[in-house]
Amino acid sequence: MALTLDELFDRVQKPARYTGGELNSVVKDKSKVNVRFAFCFPDLYEVGMSHLGMKILYGLKNAVEDFWCERVFAPDTDMEALMRENGIPLFALESRDPVREFDFVGFTLQYEMCYTTILNMLDLAGIPLRADQRGEDMPLVIAGGPCACNPEPLADFFDIFILGEGEEVNLELMTLYREHKQQGYDKQRFLKAAAQLEGVYVPAFYEVSYHEDGRVQAITPIGGVPATVRKRVIRDMDTAYYPEAFVVPFIDIVHDRAMSEIFRGCIRGCRFCQAGFIYRPVREKSVETIDRQSRCLCETSGYEEFSLSSLSTSDYTHLEELLTQLLSWAEEQHTNISVPSLRVDGFSEELANRLNVLRRNGLTFAPEAGTQRLRDTINKNLTEDEILETARRAFSGGWTSVKLYFMMGLPTETAEDIVGINTLGQKIVNCFYQNPNKPKGKGVTVSVSVSCFVPKPFTPFQWEPQDTLAQLEEKQRLLRESVTTKKVSLSWHDAKTSYLEAVLARGDRRLGAVLEEAFRRGFNLDAWSEHFDFDAWMDIFRNQGLNPDFYACRRREEDEVFPWDHIDVGVTKAFLWAENQRAHEGVTTPHCRQECSHCGAACFKGGVCVERR
Amino acid sequence: MNDVKDFTTVRIVFSKKGRARYISHLDLNRTMTRAVRRAGLPIWYTEGFNKHPYLTFAAPLSLGFEGERETMDLRLERDMPMDELVSRLDAVMPEGLRILDAAPAVKKAGEVACAVYRLTLNCPVEAVNSLLAQESITAQKRTKKKELVTVELKPVLDAAQGCVSECPEGTRWELTLPMGSELSVNPSLIVAALREQQGLPTLSAQVLRLRVLSKDGTEFV
Repeated sequence: MALTLDELFDRVQKPARYTGGELNSVVKDKSKVNVRFAFCFPDLYEVGMSHLGMKILYGLKNAVEDFWCERVFAPDTDMEALMRENGIPLFALESRDPVREFDFVGFTLQYEMCYTTILNMLDLAGIPLRADQRGEDMPLVIAGGPCACNPEPLADFFDIFILGEGEEVNLELMTLYREHKQQGYDKQRFLKAAAQLEGVYVPAFYEVSYHEDGRVQAITPIGGVPATVRKRVIRDMDTAYYPEAFVVPFIDIVHDRAMSEIFRGCIRGCRFCQAGFIYRPVREKSVETIDRQSRCLCETSGYEEFSLSSLSTSDYTHLEELLTQLLSWAEEQHTNISVPSLRVDGFSEELANRLNVLRRNGLTFAPEAGTQRLRDTINKNLTEDEILETARRAFSGGWTSVKLYFMMGLPTETAEDIVGINTLGQKIVNCFYQNPNKPKGKGVTVSVSVSCFVPKPFTPFQWEPQDTLAQLEEKQRLLRESVTTKKVSLSWHDAKTSYLEAVLARGDRRLGAVLEEAFRRGFNLDAWSEHFDFDAWMDIFRNQGLNPDFYACRRREEDEVFPWDHIDVGVTKAFLWAENQRAHEGVTTPHCRQECSHCGAACFKGGVCVERR
Repeated sequence: MNDVKDFTTVRIVFSKKGRARYISHLDLNRTMTRAVRRAGLPIWYTEGFNKHPYLTFAAPLSLGFEGERETMDLRLERDMPMDELVSRLDAVMPEGLRILDAAPAVKKAGEVACAVYRLTLNCPVEAVNSLLAQESITAQKRTKKKELVTVELKPVLDAAQGCVSECPEGTRWELTLPMGSELSVNPSLIVAALREQQGLPTLSAQVLRLRVLSKDGTEFV
């Protein structure tokens, strides 16, 4: 006899991942709802529930009376096995209704390694994987998020991709759907109409042709859709929707706190960083808006901590004013403020102490590269002096550990740059011992964490080859051997995962067959190292007659047509190429508040592009 | 003047039912802390490096069990009317948790002696009666050192003032089990014994804790 859902809960780890019923979750009367949206996060509950974008879109959709948005996460392997055994399809947490019965099934694409999990979730929901296998009786399967800027490896599986920021376009799409539903829904007609909305990309309306060697020859729109699809941008962050309440989970999740977004975009333009380009232009919220929203979220959630969210906290133009304002009530209410990626240099000691910056976050730096030459190449404007000065300040305050983040495999990188990682670590160790007031009997630990560079679309490095696995392993060896003290402790990310990430990040539609075979072989939750089987992935590429090196390790010509060339994020290809050339010359580019570099994002007429300088 | 207590300890009675039964003890602590903050109660914070509200539970409830009258102690930095505390806290509770009562704590946590449970079982009454008729009733239990040991439940069940009756699901069994520092028996052990020794592999049980009792036999509130 098949077990019921409740009986499953008694048999799995952490059942509260699946029960729903958390504070501030939204339950509506189905009979009064016209459009149902299943917001799917292709990872475990603890990861998905930490994601700010989901909280915004969940609140936004549910604020419309006859729309109902519910949450769906990937079940862990124990729950999934029991669901399959007992014929229980993937369900949404609020209503426990099968995801298959919804109007929209929307995935957020945060990370390439989640792609197999998406296919597995569709299958668990009883939804055919490929868009062309789904008829009128099936939900529309859509996706958005950062990886949607090159969604091509997933093109076969999705009806719609949403490009850019979702607040306006999600509601426009759902409203259009409601109209079509009232007039008699026809999937093709709806998709045609949807493709006219800015930021809506219907992959089936674009044909891709290839050269014999596998490079894209052309991307051709069919049936009157725009030749390029431009991402959506929220122009004014002060009037943009922000939730008044977060769903408060019972179990401990990765980021279990309230979050206040302080700005979108980044002025910096680090050349490896996709987020730094696809979210342009920088648009800030005012101090008053952030203060009001933070206070409201803490009151409705009871959270004892909230964090300021952005790509680079220190670049907020009124940071001291903001923090002073927030502290004025947070201290009284025993609420902690977490300030990630804060640069302590040039920050008042008093404020740093009140925020407990060091105790809460430890001292972390992301120099990304070991030498100034390479930091200039990647346009990372952090000098050795700044790093050492901050370390000195922390050590004189009694701190004994520092964490540093680097990448290896960056374009133009040499052995000198690799050894430079350790040299910098060693200099910080020396700072500790030069400190006259160093705590007695205590040593210092400098943790160096090294990840492998993955070239991404819409960055100046989108033309660059990733280092081969052999090169990366050789560099890891070199780095290991350069470290001669136990005071520098090394750790690194698995190069094989980064390689597959690189393949998928710049992949084309032909990779759909690879993903489908991976799913058929039972791949799931590949973002978790215990589930990741590299050799099996390579076997699938061989089976499908595709060479992963073609995607990851090939240098592209300036005029190559990229699989994502029909997608427009504002920043132009010409600007990115110019940035690529400057990288090879070792020339830095000033940030947006110093000088406009004419990247193209001014077309959105918002934020820093229109501010008076 | 550090030895002067600057707080009042209040014992709160609450129920934990439905989906809330899947909130583990550790998670319940966090859930309640946040509820107390939402309610804006004058909660007392611990001193020291990591200040936090002080909440304790004299008798933690296992994951998956429901509770009719559970207790939690919290400290207030100033007095307030108890009925106001109950209504303000109850208004901010998530689904399945209800605040029933509050009063200054009198009994000490160490006075907890036993608890009355109601098991709802999908098996016939005869299975339970036949288990109770056995000369020895044993179940396997994992110790804190992760070793498997066999425990004899016969004396506990003889003293449990059990009441077995029929119900739509199968059998309803109310019984009192010790819960103290010397001896503590979790109802899941009784269910395991029934499953193993009466050959009921598909046995499932809903467990509801009706009340917690003190050494003097009165309710621990």
